Amino acid sequence: MDIIVCIKRVAQTAEAEVKIDSSGKDIIKDRLTFDMNESDTYALEEAILLKEKFGGTLTAVSLGTVEAEDTLRIALAKGADSAIRIKAEDFQELDGYKTAQLLKAAIKDLKFDVVFTGCIATDDYYSLVGVTLAELLGVPHATLVTKIVIQDTKAQVHRELEGGLVEHLEMTLPVLFTIQTGINEPRYASLIAIRRAAKKEIKVIGASEIDPANIQANASLEELFTPSVGKRAEILTGSMDEISAKVAGIIKEKGLL
Amino acid sequence: MGGSIKINLEVRDAIIESGAGDVIKCYQCGRCMAACPWNLLEGLNYATYRFCQRIKLGAIIDSEEKEEIAADTIDVFRCVGCDSCKAECPRGVGLSDILRAVRRILVEFDSYPGELKSVVTRVFSSGNPLGESTEKRGDWAAGLNIPQYTEDCEYLYFPCCLPAYDARAKKISQATVRILKRADISFGIIGKEEFCCGEAVRRVGAEKVFQAAVKQNTELFKKAKVHKVIATSPHCLVTFTKEYPEYYDGFETLHAVQVFDRLIKDKTIVPKRPFEKTVVYHDPCTLGRQMDIYDEPRAVLKSIPGLKLIEVPIFNRDFSICCGGGAMGLWRDWPQDERLANLRTEQILATDADILCVACPYCLQMFEETLKSMDADIEVMDISEILEASLELR
Ligand code: SF4
Ligand code: SF4
Repeated sequence: MDIIVCIKRVAQTAEAEVKIDSSGKDIIKDRLTFDMNESDTYALEEAILLKEKFGGTLTAVSLGTVEAEDTLRIALAKGADSAIRIKAEDFQELDGYKTAQLLKAAIKDLKFDVVFTGCIATDDYYSLVGVTLAELLGVPHATLVTKIVIQDTKAQVHRELEGGLVEHLEMTLPVLFTIQTGINEPRYASLIAIRRAAKKEIKVIGASEIDPANIQANASLEELFTPSVGKRAEILTGSMDEISAKVAGIIKEKGLL
Repeated sequence: MGGSIKINLEVRDAIIESGAGDVIKCYQCGRCMAACPWNLLEGLNYATYRFCQRIKLGAIIDSEEKEEIAADTIDVFRCVGCDSCKAECPRGVGLSDILRAVRRILVEFDSYPGELKSVVTRVFSSGNPLGESTEKRGDWAAGLNIPQYTEDCEYLYFPCCLPAYDARAKKISQATVRILKRADISFGIIGKEEFCCGEAVRRVGAEKVFQAAVKQNTELFKKAKVHKVIATSPHCLVTFTKEYPEYYDGFETLHAVQVFDRLIKDKTIVPKRPFEKTVVYHDPCTLGRQMDIYDEPRAVLKSIPGLKLIEVPIFNRDFSICCGGGAMGLWRDWPQDERLANLRTEQILATDADILCVACPYCLQMFEETLKSMDADIEVMDISEILEASLELR
């Protein structure tokens, strides 16, 4: 089975103070850490599990600047056989559509039975690349996947829906899955694999392989801003007992109990 | 670390280059394993004596099985850096330094526990492990009339992140500066430009974040002309004293308890109000084994009228056991039967003391958290709080 996994290196903003830079279109990144996007780590693990079961090849692809090669090396250390970086620096103004076109250009000549992406990127929250890429590749897709069982050319797939519902689909390969977090337990890498990955060559493609003129974005970013803080929040202060008493008072007062 | 051994000299060289040169000294006597507190927990078998040998062969985290790799990785990140092993090792090997070298490689490849990763991210992005705003770093001193540090001050008071932000731990920094003020010590605070000292991030192997911490703090100390620091956390103390000089050695650091001891000895402050309690003192690893400060806290406590100082039998001074908070243990969520804090708390409760006296903000938090789930009649106090209670009101 030949498998492709698309991964993205993103800034970890969940626990950081995020500030906007002077261009007004990006955030200040010098005090942020960067890692593989969370749902991509699960997509990678799912890809490795499939490869362990069926054999074949596993290629990791990432659109990013040279630092994305660190993230690709993590994929190599955990179980990918080869890695491709698409030079983000060659392609300006990236939106989800443009990203999907670039990924397609990078993988269209590779053999694949399954393409994996994460279900959402925690930097821009579009959830766009996976489905668009499936469309461009002309293969069916399932989003928010929480279970995959493959037999021959058929895949039994679970998707997570709102309200605790699960949808069970049968799909025919080749197929693209966008993976929900929690589907598996992402692995640690062995030190031998880390050393091997540190030396492995990563294929880099850019404007000389993919003509930028043929790849257009659908949307361009106008502005990033922090919305002004509303007046609805009341911060309670005092000791634990005082705060608990105040909370209880508010709940009673609003008739919530 | 089951399975057969696969020798890999490249892995060996990478780990040694990352700082584990001392593995060569180990002759696998096993004393470290006997000393390591993890092995006092029933059912846990932390084979510390095998680490050096495994590294010498490049055969550590060498499995191809996902579960075995995970178990080995957890083991590499289990060590709390208490140095009980180092104190016993006939060859002077510190396993926490050895494991730090392995951790550096793993952290670089993002192959480490998520709990630790969150803390590393917070330290880098916010300058403290709690993810609090840097703007608020000086807020703990509001209303206490503590001057901003200037070059006319003799000392900078460096509160450590927990006493700067955490509601309970703030009481330590507040008590400490009130004592320093009563003693007319010339000192000031800086607040928002300070950064976490970086001790814990370095221990877990996040070397780049540690380097960022060193850069920010040393540039700040140079600019502000800081030459003497009083620290409340022995973790800051040990890092400033033993790790920073490699990059900048223009300042020296004292722990608050050393200052208290001196102030009592020269009678600048006199504990007069009786503190009629039985107090057991817990030696923090970083203050005791790592800085050799055992007598000063005891002298401070003994100078307090009415206070009866007792010891944990056997496991005191250099045999003290880690509270489990070191090397980011504070942020780990180990299963109940794998918590060093439970073990140490039980030893302490067996003394029947009224008060558990600590001299480290991590210990304070570890013990208070642990006691919440135990039906015990003991209060945890920092030594600064006990001392302040015994000083006459002015
Ligand atoms: S005590 Fe020292 S020499 Fe003995 S096994 Fe442990 S590290 Fe090696
Ligand atoms: S430093 Fe402490 S926890 Fe780590 S191996 Fe040594 S004795 Fe065990």
